[in-house]
Amino acid sequence: MVAGMNAGLPKPSQVVSLQDIPGLRGMIVEADGAVRIAAMTVHAAVAAESRLAGGLAVVREAALQIAHPAIRNMGTLGGSLADADPNADYPCALLAAGADIELAGPRGRRICPVDAFFLGRFTTALAAGEIIVGVKLPPPALEETSTYLKFSRVDGDYATVSVAVRVGWRDGACTAIRIALGSCGGTPIRVPSAERALVGTKLDVAALRIAAGAYVAACDPPSDFRGTADYRRMIIPGLLERAVRNALNADRGIRS
Amino acid sequence: MNLVNVNKVDGAVGLTMSRLEAWEKANGAAIFTEDMVLAGMLHGALALSKVAHARILGYEISAALALPGVKAVLTGDDFEPRYMGLVVKDETVLAKSKVRYIGEPVAAVAAVDAETARAAARLIEVIYEELPAVFTIEQAVAAHAPVLHEDFDSYFKIYDASTRRTPNELALSTLRRGDIVQGFAESDVILDQVYETSAQYHAYLEPAAALASVDGRGKVTVWSSTQSVFRTQANVHESLGIPMAKIRAVSPRVGGGFGGKSEAMVQPIAVALAMKTGRPVRIALSREEDMTAMRSRHPVRTRIRTGAKRDGTFVARAIETWFDGGAYADDTAAVMNFALFFGTGPYRFDHVDLVGHAVYTNKLRAGAFRGFGNPQVTFASECQIDDLAAELGIDPVDLRLKNLVHAGDRWIGGQVVATSGLEECIEKVATASRWRDRAAKPVEAPDGKRRGLGIALTAHISGFLSTSAIVRLAEDGSVSLNTGAVDLGQGSDTALAQMCAAGLGLTVDAVNVVAADTDASPYNSGTNASRVTYMVGRAIGQATDVVREKMFKLAADMLECNLADLELRPGGFIGVEGTDHSVSFAQIAAKSIWFADGGGPVIGTGSVMHNEPLDPKHTLLAGFLSFDNVGALTFGAQVVDVEIDETTGKVDVVEAWCAHDVGRAINPGAVEGQIQGGFVQGLGYALTEEMVWDGGRLTNPSFKHYKIPSSLDVPYAIHAMIVEVADPLHPFGAKGIGEPPLIGAAAAIPNAIAAAAGARVRKLPVTPERMLRALRFGADGVDV
Amino acid sequence: MSTDRTTLSFHVNGDPQAVAIPIHRTLLEVLRDELALTGAKKGCNTGTCGACNVLVDDVMIRSCLRLAVSVAECKVTTVEGLARNGMASAVQQAFLDAGAIQCGFCMTGMIVSASALLAQNPAPTRDEIRIAISGNLCRCSGYVKVVDAIELAASRFRQGNAAEAAAMEIRI
Repeated sequence: MVAGMNAGLPKPSQVVSLQDIPGLRGMIVEADGAVRIAAMTVHAAVAAESRLAGGLAVVREAALQIAHPAIRNMGTLGGSLADADPNADYPCALLAAGADIELAGPRGRRICPVDAFFLGRFTTALAAGEIIVGVKLPPPALEETSTYLKFSRVDGDYATVSVAVRVGWRDGACTAIRIALGSCGGTPIRVPSAERALVGTKLDVAALRIAAGAYVAACDPPSDFRGTADYRRMIIPGLLERAVRNALNADRGIRS
Repeated sequence: MNLVNVNKVDGAVGLTMSRLEAWEKANGAAIFTEDMVLAGMLHGALALSKVAHARILGYEISAALALPGVKAVLTGDDFEPRYMGLVVKDETVLAKSKVRYIGEPVAAVAAVDAETARAAARLIEVIYEELPAVFTIEQAVAAHAPVLHEDFDSYFKIYDASTRRTPNELALSTLRRGDIVQGFAESDVILDQVYETSAQYHAYLEPAAALASVDGRGKVTVWSSTQSVFRTQANVHESLGIPMAKIRAVSPRVGGGFGGKSEAMVQPIAVALAMKTGRPVRIALSREEDMTAMRSRHPVRTRIRTGAKRDGTFVARAIETWFDGGAYADDTAAVMNFALFFGTGPYRFDHVDLVGHAVYTNKLRAGAFRGFGNPQVTFASECQIDDLAAELGIDPVDLRLKNLVHAGDRWIGGQVVATSGLEECIEKVATASRWRDRAAKPVEAPDGKRRGLGIALTAHISGFLSTSAIVRLAEDGSVSLNTGAVDLGQGSDTALAQMCAAGLGLTVDAVNVVAADTDASPYNSGTNASRVTYMVGRAIGQATDVVREKMFKLAADMLECNLADLELRPGGFIGVEGTDHSVSFAQIAAKSIWFADGGGPVIGTGSVMHNEPLDPKHTLLAGFLSFDNVGALTFGAQVVDVEIDETTGKVDVVEAWCAHDVGRAINPGAVEGQIQGGFVQGLGYALTEEMVWDGGRLTNPSFKHYKIPSSLDVPYAIHAMIVEVADPLHPFGAKGIGEPPLIGAAAAIPNAIAAAAGARVRKLPVTPERMLRALRFGADGVDV
Repeated sequence: MSTDRTTLSFHVNGDPQAVAIPIHRTLLEVLRDELALTGAKKGCNTGTCGACNVLVDDVMIRSCLRLAVSVAECKVTTVEGLARNGMASAVQQAFLDAGAIQCGFCMTGMIVSASALLAQNPAPTRDEIRIAISGNLCRCSGYVKVVDAIELAASRFRQGNAAEAAAMEIRI
């Protein structure tokens, strides 16, 4: 908003700051392992949260890769989600994490699951007069790992394509998986049927290729400064495969 | 790392020291143009054209004038038609009767604050009769293409443009040697390829800015972010018709230029607003305005052919190159000719045919940018040579060594190559990068990646152009150095002070470097063409010679001895050899000023311009420049190690080795900084930077969309290696370093990519998409 | 142009300040135009170049993106606040000694970023240094000597004895 004002765009008639409202900052881990992050928590604080591990590491990794350090000190989780920029990092990561968005407005509080929150480019399920107060992340299972993979032209740029993965792995097979694809359409997307088909497999190259094909078919990538739609479709399979591999190797600290 | 406290320096040349003005830059005290405030100052803002090509029928400015706080609105109608420009005088202070590119300044406002001025500028309406426009070279040279400059033939030009064939061409130049047909006939192998480069934005961190103020006698002072106070003065004089005696151009600290601020743009407008309102006026462009309205590097399309014998001997080189100059001529004709001048690279070719076209299009003007046409043509030449090496089965380094130009050889046009450290440069980078080892046993890339090394050689010049210097002995024995050269941040003030100090045996802090000022400084054409250390250094050498001579005469008098018995001693003394009899510079100064036989104040001047006679049949830039007057040739070599991601096509530079012959490094640390910074600017040019037009509209005028390298996009190690082969004309043997490092990067990186990928992209920048298409489909990128 | 105004009270480089400003001013504009602290620069005015970096309550932020009214009662530190009695801070001195400074336009923001890093992490790796300055664009240096400078500042700070450390404190 301020950048827009600086560029001479029309100023809003009123701006309401949430910065002094108590209870809108910080992260709490609940008894069952669920995590609640308040809406005004800055990216840098989320990026530093070692408690976001295993199946929730994807959220921390996304925060770590947003823009630049100074921006990470200023931007907030709620701000990023409400903005719903198709190229932003948090929406894709939270979609993979399976978060619930907590809203508050004149008619009280409500929960909106992340799968129903992002409706289109810069468009969310926020009703008039509502604000985001926080995000609730489901308790991660012991066998889960996760990762956020961001591919951009240069460091700090918006993603050309991003892939967020939350995966469960036991006895040599996948027990659960959520894959979110970002910067490839108006909102980040999942393809639940492709995810279900991966459960029980070894997440080998062949299985991932099939899943990637479904994501390529389901997405609606733009052509912009970062690449053509065609290019994005070309690189999705390799990036999806890489993201799953990184997630599986996360506890061994191996990344590619 | 040599760490030196400036106060302990002596024997100043060859010493690494931080810049004289580094402390004020580190603590926020350094004053750049937008930091300056004068009493009663108004703020200026520009209204920029929204159409690419149109006649201006009228203006609607009443709403703008009515806004409270607005003090003046100017349009093209407020000015006589007066033209400015270095090579072609085709520009006016504001668009007059026509606009020729989206972003061209059409009106200007002065108001009590910047916000009001910008709001008023947005209220200005221009009534246009839109004309058909041309956005590509093909469109511009097509039959019946709309003409941008109907009066081109009547513009003053420093060169003969009569060879042009179509109305939108502004120059057509040829350089030839031998017989190209015969040359190709004698060749066993001929490669024929097309290379393309995109427009690059200078992206200096300080956007263009100017502050103008008129005094009680009607004399205007203009402070601006400029590379030449004298070009600023000339541009204001020519576009506004003010006599030079009434124009004083100075510069506060400048936040980078790279060629984009050699010629004026905002300065005449600021001056006009100051004269209209009677108050100082400051204009500072926003980043978006700077990208939209200033100038860019030329996008260029080059068809290049090289013919060689099977044993690798080069025989023939032909180039036909097209420079898209945008809507105004700026330096275009000179840039294109420079590209031709380097069309053979530092290699021997007996048969050469180089043709260059420069064309007007309805886009932002293209002008000088670090390299000045050389990066575009060196990219094509060095890449083709690597392809030739592959075709012939010869190692790329060996192929180059076999055909190198040496000292004593003649460059195209006949200039003799005075010195060359090129072989040493090649040796250094090949050794440091373990080139031969890696050729025999390539480094293994991790899964999904490819790795490769590439080499490129650079040939450039330290440009001659006219230069002068004044050295004055102050009463306390220190000296004042006044050269008219603007320090853009590349460290010239410091290097010049070091040379002056060394010429007189003084420490650097005994040299007072006077800021460039057209009122007080002797003429210097500008800070560009990698010329300041070289040319201004020569002028300083002349001036310090004169000062030394005069001081010696006075000293001989004061010490009652023969001149031949005297020697210069460090710290400002002249003494009799073998004794401890001496006089200090301060004593000499006192004698010169106060005593009847003192001879008057001690002052020395230097003035340098190359004066080789002009053979009108044998020139660069069609009648303008004798080949011997172009510059001192400088050479370098770079090797780059890249890694390519096979999934995304993204190229990362892993490590770089850059060896450049600088003649003599006056300040080695500063030379390293230039090499590293130039390399990274070249890395951006090679991999990520591209100004993109949609018709005539620049679509990415912001750092959000136009990406320059950040700290995470550069290799951990950029090894800057200094080679020193002394230049015979410079008092310390030094030559320039500003441009060559960028030229090297723009060619070495594509060569490394080709080696790693086994596929070549012939268009810059090599974006991830272009690379991936090359990897997968063998595409060369030219049409992507 | 009618705009609401307010009086902003805050601390800048240790001094209390109160300025009357239109409510939509950015912190960058207030520092430069009202307080004549021109060390923070307007390189892009959109938060992408880093030349405007300052510290608010010891946290590094983009002053061009921060509404001035939002720093009421806060402690703002600019590059002008780093030196003490004319003596360079450890970071500033290291930038001089390592030859990192060329045109200087990005350097005030760079030095603020470096100071914020070392105050939090006095022994950063080269990677951590590169990340800390990844939001500061520089067109002159290629970043090599800037990273050298920050490493030098860190190593001096660690090697210095207590008295030296106090004199050369990172100081934000």
